Amino acid sequence: MNHQPFETWLLNEVALDAQQQRELDSHLRSCAYCAALVKTARVLRSVKLAVPAPGFATRFQARLAAEKTAERRRRILGSIFFALGGMLLLGWLASPYLAGFFQSPASWIAALVEMAVFILTTLQASVEAGKVILDVLGRLLPPFGWMVIVSGVAGISLLWSVSIWRFAFRSVPQGV
Amino acid sequence: MNDELAWVAQAQQGSDEAFTRLVESHQTHVYNLCYRMLGEPESAEDAAQETFLRAYQNLHRYDSSRSFVTWLLSIAAHYCIDRLRRKKLSVFSMDEEREDGTVFEIADPASPDPEAESTKREERDRLHRLLRDLDETDRAAVIMRYWYDYSEIEIAESLQLTVSAVKSRLHRSRRALAGMWQEEETPLAQTERRRHESPAF
Repeated sequence: MNHQPFETWLLNEVALDAQQQRELDSHLRSCAYCAALVKTARVLRSVKLAVPAPGFATRFQARLAAEKTAERRRRILGSIFFALGGMLLLGWLASPYLAGFFQSPASWIAALVEMAVFILTTLQASVEAGKVILDVLGRLLPPFGWMVIVSGVAGISLLWSVSIWRFAFRSVPQGV
Repeated sequence: MNDELAWVAQAQQGSDEAFTRLVESHQTHVYNLCYRMLGEPESAEDAAQETFLRAYQNLHRYDSSRSFVTWLLSIAAHYCIDRLRRKKLSVFSMDEEREDGTVFEIADPASPDPEAESTKREERDRLHRLLRDLDETDRAAVIMRYWYDYSEIEIAESLQLTVSAVKSRLHRSRRALAGMWQEEETPLAQTERRRHESPAF
């Protein structure tokens, strides 16, 4: 038998019968490379587990406590910087308006009241328009027809969501 | 095992005491992997501590259908691979190491056969020196296979590789180790022979 089957047996760690074992032993006497394969596997299996220095868990607790403190500090500092940055940005954006407001407050208050009245009247008009549209649509189709349309749209939406979820969350193992 | 599941559940709910029990229970496995990967006790200690810290911070992501120790070793292996890639460590020994890189070990005089014991240790050290020449991921696969007796499927899950990739990496590593071993063996055998030859020849 040539060299290759013996190498395959050794690399795949195949369980050998008595005849195969005899053939392998005979091959090992003449093949230094296969002998090295056997030797390295035996040495690898003979090495014991390395043990950490005593007190590992205590040192971990100390490290965890230090990490928690640092994390808390980072969060507080982050919040302060975020708030300060927001305030500065807001101040910078509002500075032209604030200057105008302090120069003539009466005209600004009048403009604000006018804006509020406009929003309120727009809302009222929208509600009225909605009522009219619903009234017209209700006359066009019977309630059963509306139920069919709404169910169809809901079904298609559900199918779409499930497809997106399946494609987005399928995990693929990384190769070499 | 049931204790472990209970500790994991308690730790996920915020119990530091339960997590410390998990650390005590798995410190040797994690430390050993880091030590075999990095080769230095200080680096291994730091990497093992970092592994537990990352596990603590990501405990909510742990899937309890998987083995907890496999999950931990997966974190440790990825951390060590990244660390080795960032900084290629040249030192790789099993115990104490001399400045010139050779391993210094004393055979146990209480052993029934101190000479055989010493030979075994020399062989283990030699293999460790050879291990450092392997690619980081290959080294992690070899360590998981031979130190932890992990199956190819478990190694694939831990290192996020396909099973065929693990098989090919293990074969490649075994071939490389055997080749290097054989190369070292040849000059050693010649030296050994010369040592017993007469100086007159």
